Amino acid sequence: MSPRHPQFTSEQLAEVRRLQGLYPDARGALLPVLHLAQEVFGYISEEVEEYVAGLFGLAPAPVHEVVTFYTMYFREPKGRHVVSVCHNLSCHLAGAPAILDHLRRRLGIEPGGTTDDGRVTLLAVECLCACEMAPMLQVDDRYEGNLTPETVDRLLDQLR
Amino acid sequence: MNQPAAVPTEAILTRNFGRADSYTLTAYRETGGYAGWAKALALEPAAITDAVKRSNLRGLGGAGFPTGTKWSFVPKGHAGPIYLVINADEGEPGTVKDRYLLERDPHALIEGMLIAARAIGSRLAFVYIRGEYITPWRRFSAAVREAYDAGYLGRGLDVVVHRGAGAYICGEETGLISSLEGRKGWPKLKPPFPAIKGAFGAPTIVNNVETICQVPHIVNRGPEWFAALGTKTQGGTRLYSVSGRVRRPGVYEASVAVTLRQLIYEHAGGVTGNGRLKAVVPGGASAAILRADEIDVTMDVDGLRNAGTMAGSAGVIVMDETVSIPDALRVVARFYAHESCGQCTPCRETTGWIHRMTERIVEGRGHKEDLDTILDVARRGTGTTICAFYDGAVGPYISYIEKFRAEFEALIRHA
Amino acid sequence: MPKLTIDGQPLEVPPGTNLIEAARRIGIEIPHYCYHPALSIAGQCRLCVIDIEKVPRPQVACNTVVAEGMVVHTETERVLETRKSIMEFHLINHPLDCPVCDQAGECWLQIYYMKHGLYDPRMVDEKVHKPKAVPLGPHVMLDAERCILCSRCVRFCDEVTGTSELGIFHRGDRSEIGLFPGQELANKYSGNVVDICPVGALTDRDFRFQVRVWYLDTQKSICPGCARGCNIEVHVSRRRPHHAEGRRVVRLKPRFNEAVNKWWICDAGRYGSAFVDDDTRLQVPARRDGEKTLEIAWTEMIPLAAGRLRGYRADEIGILASPTLSNEDLFLLRRLCDALGVGAVDYRVPPARPGDEDDFLIRADKSANSRGAALIGLGGADARAILGAARDRRVKCLWIFGHDLLASAWPEGEVRDGLRGAETVIFQGTNANRTSAYAHLVLPAAAYPEREGTWTNFEGRVQRFRQALAPLGRALPDWEILGRLLQEVQGAPRPARAEECFRDLAATEPAFAGMTYRSIGDAGQLVRAARP
Repeated sequence: MSPRHPQFTSEQLAEVRRLQGLYPDARGALLPVLHLAQEVFGYISEEVEEYVAGLFGLAPAPVHEVVTFYTMYFREPKGRHVVSVCHNLSCHLAGAPAILDHLRRRLGIEPGGTTDDGRVTLLAVECLCACEMAPMLQVDDRYEGNLTPETVDRLLDQLR
Repeated sequence: MNQPAAVPTEAILTRNFGRADSYTLTAYRETGGYAGWAKALALEPAAITDAVKRSNLRGLGGAGFPTGTKWSFVPKGHAGPIYLVINADEGEPGTVKDRYLLERDPHALIEGMLIAARAIGSRLAFVYIRGEYITPWRRFSAAVREAYDAGYLGRGLDVVVHRGAGAYICGEETGLISSLEGRKGWPKLKPPFPAIKGAFGAPTIVNNVETICQVPHIVNRGPEWFAALGTKTQGGTRLYSVSGRVRRPGVYEASVAVTLRQLIYEHAGGVTGNGRLKAVVPGGASAAILRADEIDVTMDVDGLRNAGTMAGSAGVIVMDETVSIPDALRVVARFYAHESCGQCTPCRETTGWIHRMTERIVEGRGHKEDLDTILDVARRGTGTTICAFYDGAVGPYISYIEKFRAEFEALIRHA
Repeated sequence: MPKLTIDGQPLEVPPGTNLIEAARRIGIEIPHYCYHPALSIAGQCRLCVIDIEKVPRPQVACNTVVAEGMVVHTETERVLETRKSIMEFHLINHPLDCPVCDQAGECWLQIYYMKHGLYDPRMVDEKVHKPKAVPLGPHVMLDAERCILCSRCVRFCDEVTGTSELGIFHRGDRSEIGLFPGQELANKYSGNVVDICPVGALTDRDFRFQVRVWYLDTQKSICPGCARGCNIEVHVSRRRPHHAEGRRVVRLKPRFNEAVNKWWICDAGRYGSAFVDDDTRLQVPARRDGEKTLEIAWTEMIPLAAGRLRGYRADEIGILASPTLSNEDLFLLRRLCDALGVGAVDYRVPPARPGDEDDFLIRADKSANSRGAALIGLGGADARAILGAARDRRVKCLWIFGHDLLASAWPEGEVRDGLRGAETVIFQGTNANRTSAYAHLVLPAAAYPEREGTWTNFEGRVQRFRQALAPLGRALPDWEILGRLLQEVQGAPRPARAEECFRDLAATEPAFAGMTYRSIGDAGQLVRAARP
């Protein structure tokens, strides 16, 4: 169950096989299975990469290529919550730099970092395509927009 | 220039957006949902393609390619599988409309897919949703389950919903295909073109979410009706995402013949900041910027091309006079450097270099040669790359500097 | 077959030919990095762009298949400007390592910059930095900054060895070639990635900092490491004897042969030339007298050896020939056996461990000319029995060519008994070993880069190896030694050149009938029996 000694349960393996069966070439399921692995193991360690590679009959290098190419796979442990602040054009025009600075100060970390208590990982990201509610961020599964320092504070207070 | 058509009073793509339960099958059926599919079942596949051709529907993801023509590229009488792939990897800065469609009207996409699949002979469709779109993914997946339960899907068409993992380049159709195949999102060399050899080596049609959502209306109400809504060369309405320094940022449906001025002032309520318009990005970040005196232009593919920019994804970003264009270019250049897939040399190396130069300029350490270097490098790289990502980057690189050069030079003079 | 025009020249090529290959046929070399005829098309470097009439944008030649009536221009103003731009783009982040980079002198960034670039650089910002001097495995060193991300090495490991060790990680200008963390580039063909890397990103650890390539001379040869006989070039340093720690053979490179090894060579073969210059080389004829070893001249050794041989009955002589002797050597040895009436001759000494073999290039038989030895009739007896006969003192004179019998599969005691049993042990070979220590007469032979000759590979292909260096010390080619002995024993005029021996061989042995050095050429020629 740990990212250092990864092993899917039989239900999870069944899900892997189900996903692989959806594609004309089972390799198509690699991105979805890596999402599943990240959910289960917390992040994609090198051991997880090797484990997943084995499930696909792939050498580890091509899996490492995929994991390092896409931004949503974490290769280090992340916080319990991930706060991704958009810093692309519309959000920039709406004040994203100030929101990011506010979060830096509140959390005491730079974008890319995680708070010492493991509560929050802060990221600055490219367009999340929610420009109509700029400035905005993604916290875990949901988008929060029309941010002000106050709404950001309330949001942070709700994160355990 | 095409005469601007009257803004239609009828909401077509947006007709369900206001309902709380809009994404359910029940709600969808109540506003005539799946009636187009019922009609399409009585049509020959070639007739459906022909109708879409006559409707003048053009791709609404960015390239603006005539949709019916694209469908007709699939080899006739092909023995093996043919795949329909929906590009829901919305990523063009300034664009939010596909997210709205997935969250608020997912069945519209499913109905469109059924018709499109019938037209091209596909029995398996993939919907590639960008990884960050979690609510849209959940909504759409639930709608797919409803559609299976109701017998729309699973009787000739299966749908696989596939999540991306964070890469703008997966919005490029062959980058998307590579990602769907379980690889990095590296676009593929063309030829071969996807309609001939695409996903998993089979003929593949990749279409944008919104493009496919238009299809049931074309079949249900007729291609001539659709064509008449727009211009001579592009039919229908489209969804404009308006953001930036406007009073009412949001998604607005209008004829493709609407003007940029109308969008900004009539739909989105006019300019904020200091209230005076300076510049507009008309088609997502990759579209060349327009000055305040260039907004009397129709927002169709050909209208904007003739104005030296592009309709792209219809992401409209409005800038008032307090916006620093050099700073905007820095932000946009940072985006392209971050999202370059790295496969081919011109894009990989120059997007990073140009970003570094824009940072230096904004920081007050610009050199007098920098502007001409950026322009020259961008021009030299244009047309040399594997895909159009670089051409998209070049849009802002060149237009921001050419149209607002004095502002850049002021920063450099004071360096 | 499609007919097209390139730079005004009409030509006809097989369907499916890409424009790089088509242009090559008429001597036009379109510059490129990522294209390689052995690998899938990548189309990444963008250097091979050319103009095609009626096509608005320049196209990459590698991914363009010839079409009937195509009119191609490889030197339009636009193409030349684009090449210049592409060269500039490649050099934006490339480190100016030339003074310390082994690739200097054979670097395709240097070569193409001089030919197609020649622009004034204008990149004044910080370059992207990546890991440098990273050992990827026992043979290959990576400098990730120098890498132009052509992906040839990645495709080689995916498509040729099927081992997929290498990947391109991350994206944009942070893209980086590398191994999966903790893995090694340890497949048996790893050295080939150094050949195909156009720049100094992947370099040979063995060759690192040894000598500058412009001091090297090259010669066509054949690898003696196994029975495949991969075609090679021997690269020798003659002009800088104080570099490369005094080694003369500084590296081997594979030479293209469609029928034998294509573009490749295994690591064992590539790195197997150290014996040529190491200090175990036998350089002077020597005679052991009790504890003392006396160096003598050939003029003394030849009559001495011949006299010893004639002093025994034919059935008292046992010869362990080597399957690495050339066809010429073996032919003269056979003549000598006939002249002396010796029947106890064999070349088959089994190694202690069976050689590795794969379904690519590597053959289990680790000698160059077993097929030649068989064809020329040097396998009439049984080597082990010969050794046993020496132990029993029925064979009194053992003539051993190159083998270290103590490294064979035979028990050590049995070997020593045999070596000690013989009254006279003659050792003829290139390097001293534990067996040669038992020799009464040592005849130093020239190593293969120091002479010419032919070997017959496992398929029956006769291939020429050519002389790149003078023999070390007073070593002589085996055919020369045997020719002198034959002259001493039989009075026959001795051959002046290896080619004469081959001519006589071809006239005598049906398998080689009609073959000449000319007909063998650079690609080799199959013996009669092997031809379809």
